[in-house]
Amino acid sequence: VNVESYREQIAAALGDGWRFAGLHASSDGSLVRTLLARATGAMRLETVATAEGAVPSIVDLAPAAGWDEREAHDLHGVTFVGHEPLRPLVDHEAPLERWTVPVRGHDAFQIAVGPIHAGVIESGHFRFHVVGERILHLDARLFYKHRGLERASEGRTLDEAIAFVSRACAGCAVTNGVAYAHACEDALGLVSTPELARARTILLELERMWNHLNDIAATCAGVGLAAGNNSFAALTERARRLNGTLTGHRFLFGSIRVGGSDLTLGPDAVRAAREEVASLRVDSSRSWRELLFNASFQDRLPDIGVVGAPEGARLGAVGPAARAAGVAEDVRAGSPRLAYDGFAPVVPRRAAGDVQARVEQRALELLQTFDLLETLFDRPVGPAAAEPRAQERPIGVGRVESPRGATSCIVERRHDRVERLRLRTGSYANWPVVAYAATDNLLPDFPLINKSFELCYACADR
Amino acid sequence: MLTLLRDLRRLRRELDLPHAPGRSLALRHVDAGSCNGCEHELTLMSSPYYDLQRFGLGIVASPRHADVLLVTGAITSRMREPLLVAYEAMPEPRRVAALGDCALGCNLLGTADNLVGPLETVIPVDLRIPGCPPTPDAIAEALLGLIDGSRLNL
Repeated sequence: VNVESYREQIAAALGDGWRFAGLHASSDGSLVRTLLARATGAMRLETVATAEGAVPSIVDLAPAAGWDEREAHDLHGVTFVGHEPLRPLVDHEAPLERWTVPVRGHDAFQIAVGPIHAGVIESGHFRFHVVGERILHLDARLFYKHRGLERASEGRTLDEAIAFVSRACAGCAVTNGVAYAHACEDALGLVSTPELARARTILLELERMWNHLNDIAATCAGVGLAAGNNSFAALTERARRLNGTLTGHRFLFGSIRVGGSDLTLGPDAVRAAREEVASLRVDSSRSWRELLFNASFQDRLPDIGVVGAPEGARLGAVGPAARAAGVAEDVRAGSPRLAYDGFAPVVPRRAAGDVQARVEQRALELLQTFDLLETLFDRPVGPAAAEPRAQERPIGVGRVESPRGATSCIVERRHDRVERLRLRTGSYANWPVVAYAATDNLLPDFPLINKSFELCYACADR
Repeated sequence: MLTLLRDLRRLRRELDLPHAPGRSLALRHVDAGSCNGCEHELTLMSSPYYDLQRFGLGIVASPRHADVLLVTGAITSRMREPLLVAYEAMPEPRRVAALGDCALGCNLLGTADNLVGPLETVIPVDLRIPGCPPTPDAIAEALLGLIDGSRLNL
């Protein structure tokens, strides 16, 4: 599209039920591409050429594009006309006044936290604007862990470059790898066979299983409930040991490649895996019941960190965070490249979009994951390859539901090499939502609110 | 209560249970640009399967309270300063452990302008724990070696 009609096109698409799903600049900053997606799984890419390094901003149409535009400005020098002020995001050189929102008033002051935190937590900086203990506003400054992974992948072969997305984040290594593999296969005209779809779906659900168990443990830790934390941490350990037994790696590293799968599980391996999943279901359901009846734990959860469905949609909330507010959307429901036939997203009965709903959402999704895995482990798994059945293209897109929400990967290629790679993970989409969720809450509740999202810094920073 | 404790001590002596070294180490973790894998494994070190505290190894909230700085990740240019500040804040004697392949400078991914190189180019390293990420077993073994001095590769 041309610069003049770019905004109209985006506005029309958003009015027609398309959702903003990511925006990035080409390597030289000459093009800006916007990814739009529907809940059904349909995707489209709108490309606009920059004029003297500038394009009109769409942040007023899709506030979810805020971080994407700021990142494209910092890393690729694109100016977004109408995005005022265009605060630095990845660029840490700017003075405090440039990247924080001015908050003034009687007794208003700032509390700076991080980048190094008190526990075993990833590095990132939070600047709370507070009056007493009430949070008026939160400016989150991430990208302390920015390694330039996307830039470093440029010029690598498509096979090599998977390392840059899967090693971006241990918590989402499989999701990122599958999103990348789908993007490459989309560009190469390759289609998944049912066996390939099954192998990858097993790996994705194994990843979701340990993450969701870990996230419930983290929430218990967030309120200092050692019993709940310990029981779910022990379950997380068991899930990771299962990963190690099945693939040789506790985080399933190296299990995804472009164009096929090498995952091989014999009859004994799938039977043992099935039994362990069944046992994890029993034990996690028991531990969850104990949490439900723990009044002092439950008392901390409701009505804090609230993000309702409309605000969530505007800010681009995805995954458990969006579903906890009643938005029954899940990329798994529209994933023809994976084995999710008949999958229907769940939402909690009390979909209040608060900490309680987000924690309950994990418990509900765990049951789905146990179901999926028990079905997927019904027969041995063997090597599989994608089949060349579609048109080759210079750009491919992959979109996969990570434990934290929709993750999209775009690969622009020249022959068999990466020209531009963009990874937009569920964590990246949800970080601005965390900042919003903190507003008007008490400072001591922030760790709990943060843990109820349990986002990765690593795959947002890249 | 006192009788119970006395009985427990007697039982312990009679059963000849293994004893942890009568020492402890306070650890401070700094993520200097990891993939979060080392952090996930480190978190499980306090889970019931490992329960590292029983050996006298605990994570403390401030470098001021720490004997050992446990650093993970490829050292990013943006984390170099905070890492140095944490190191400077530690009281002497202090030790530095590089946790995971990234901190050791193996197979680093990223661009040269965003990474400053392996940990030992920034601060002196006393203990190296390889792995991507190191398993909780490997972390436990290395740290227990540090506590009794046998694994200190100075």
